[in-house]
Amino acid sequence: MKHRISSLLLTGIFFLCAGCGAPAASGAAEPASLQFFSMDTVMSITAYGEQGQAGVQAAREAVNRLDGLLSRTDPDSQISRLNAHAGDGTAVEVEPDVAELLSFAQSVSQLLPGDFDITIAPVMDAWGFTTEERHVPTEQALSAALALVDSSQLEVDEAASTARLLQAGMEVDLGAVAKGFAAGEAEEALREAGVERATIDLGGNVTVIGTRPDGDPWRVAVKDPRNTDGYLCILELEDVTLSTSGGYERYFEEDGVRYHHIIDPKTGYPADSGLLSVTVVTANHVLADALSTALFVAGPEEALDFWRSRDDFELVLCTDDSRIIVTQGLEDAFQLYDQDGGYTYEIARR
Amino acid sequence: MSSPLRRLTRCAVLTALALALSVAEGLVPLTILFPLPGLRLGLANLVTTYALCRLSGREALLILVSRCLLGALLGGNLMALAFSLTGGLLALAVMAALVRCPFLSLFGVSIAGAAAHNTGQILAAMVVLLSRAPLVYLPPLLLCSLVTGAVTGAASTLLVHRVPFFADIKS
Amino acid sequence: MRSPAADRRRPTLWDGLLALLVAAAAAALFFFLRPAESNFLTASIVLDGETIGTYDLTGLTEPVTLTVDQADYPLTIRLEPGRVCIGESACPSQDCVHTGWISRAGEQIICLPNRLVISLTGGQQEFDAVTG
Repeated sequence: MKHRISSLLLTGIFFLCAGCGAPAASGAAEPASLQFFSMDTVMSITAYGEQGQAGVQAAREAVNRLDGLLSRTDPDSQISRLNAHAGDGTAVEVEPDVAELLSFAQSVSQLLPGDFDITIAPVMDAWGFTTEERHVPTEQALSAALALVDSSQLEVDEAASTARLLQAGMEVDLGAVAKGFAAGEAEEALREAGVERATIDLGGNVTVIGTRPDGDPWRVAVKDPRNTDGYLCILELEDVTLSTSGGYERYFEEDGVRYHHIIDPKTGYPADSGLLSVTVVTANHVLADALSTALFVAGPEEALDFWRSRDDFELVLCTDDSRIIVTQGLEDAFQLYDQDGGYTYEIARR
Repeated sequence: MSSPLRRLTRCAVLTALALALSVAEGLVPLTILFPLPGLRLGLANLVTTYALCRLSGREALLILVSRCLLGALLGGNLMALAFSLTGGLLALAVMAALVRCPFLSLFGVSIAGAAAHNTGQILAAMVVLLSRAPLVYLPPLLLCSLVTGAVTGAASTLLVHRVPFFADIKS
Repeated sequence: MRSPAADRRRPTLWDGLLALLVAAAAAALFFFLRPAESNFLTASIVLDGETIGTYDLTGLTEPVTLTVDQADYPLTIRLEPGRVCIGESACPSQDCVHTGWISRAGEQIICLPNRLVISLTGGQQEFDAVTG
């Protein structure tokens, strides 16, 4: 009997302890996460720390403001107004940062002539990539559309914050730079809110801020263009933005031929340069976005030549002969994802 | 000395020794060497082993419970009481059963005791935290108990043979 | 109290066996805990900002086909143990079908015309974000 009482007493003490211990054991703070549709894609923002919630909301507002300015499908956007006044001589007023973006896009066209053009919109429309009714255009329709592609016919006055298209029928589509621009604005909004660790994913355009909560660099996987459930590599990075262009997801098939959505401004046809995907890593968001498209069109040799001529970005190229080319600045950050993925990799040096 | 009084003295001295050992152990924590929550040498278990071999199971239990309660009072930590008591009681039960086993030496008994102590601690932690999470520490703790159990096993073999009959020590 | 163990000065073979038993228990526990921690995978389906379903892919024993009729372009989602894909979609672009199977925590399938997102979450995530 004595034994039983004492054991009961002990059990009592034990559970008393259990009771007071439980609340103290609750887990670490969860990050604030937000996912929403904007700029024709899904955006996911995850921010850590006390200001996380405020940060993701501010970032969302920043992105939505841009969507209203840059969308080509919204007739009230500044880009739609610019397109509507093409050829009639009107200088359309735009926000200062939109003017800056337009002239930046023009400068990329000059740096990589024939590989990048934001006035490609008529050709995109001819292919149906904007309307989702995709089809191969007739030769006639294509050459008519191609005649309207020339970004030197876009006049931007940054001082007056105006822009104008010189030829009727021309249209600007900022699809190749808008996500990068939005990523920059989102990062600024997050940092202004006091967020020091965050990831921003704007439809595959990834920006990492600071480090992971555990102090390690962020781990960003690069998709395998040949195997949708596989990855080329993982990059360990801090405070950079990554933009990847490839023809492996947005495409359609007609008569057994696959046509993807990255159009070569020289030919009007989907780019066929020997590259399956291009990933650009840099601190400059808009540069990353624009270059991934331009270098995908340019091809591996021109891409590496351009990389050697500058020092503000790094590349991961996946070629159609199963090579992964990584520029030397990413050598330490790079991890091959799958040794048996069927790729060989090489480091490109200056 | 009368028998009950002798018994009381015996237990009191052993309790004090166990308490001193566990405090001494706390001064040089093994976790500095090897960061694993709950890891310790288990020197106080020496006293339990000795009491089991040279006294009786009842006295061993008495010493254990008193040591844990006093230890909690000294440390002022009720939480530690839950861990040390569950671990200690489980270790005592296992060792009391094995010490009668004709094939084993005190090495085996101590290893089993150390393993049981760690299992008890983790079970207590799981109840306290209402979570399965502490279970991940059990496999490494069990491996460590092989080493700590062997060390205390060697020590208790010495102790039991050098201090054969506590009752014989007289003033 | 009679105690054969107390009379021995050296460890016996049985001590070794007992030590082995403890080691085996540790190893068994380790492997028992391992898969439960790392393979746990949940698919959540969000249509226009609203979660319309969450599925435990690890616990799934046989394939399940799910039809989402309330979407603008009706689609079918195929759930299998450890992976998920969009089988068919009435949407014009078919980009979501092109995405194929996803099977790792952190991955997503997006159907833009439907404003539908399928995302995988789980215990162990190999990466924080995916580009491409």
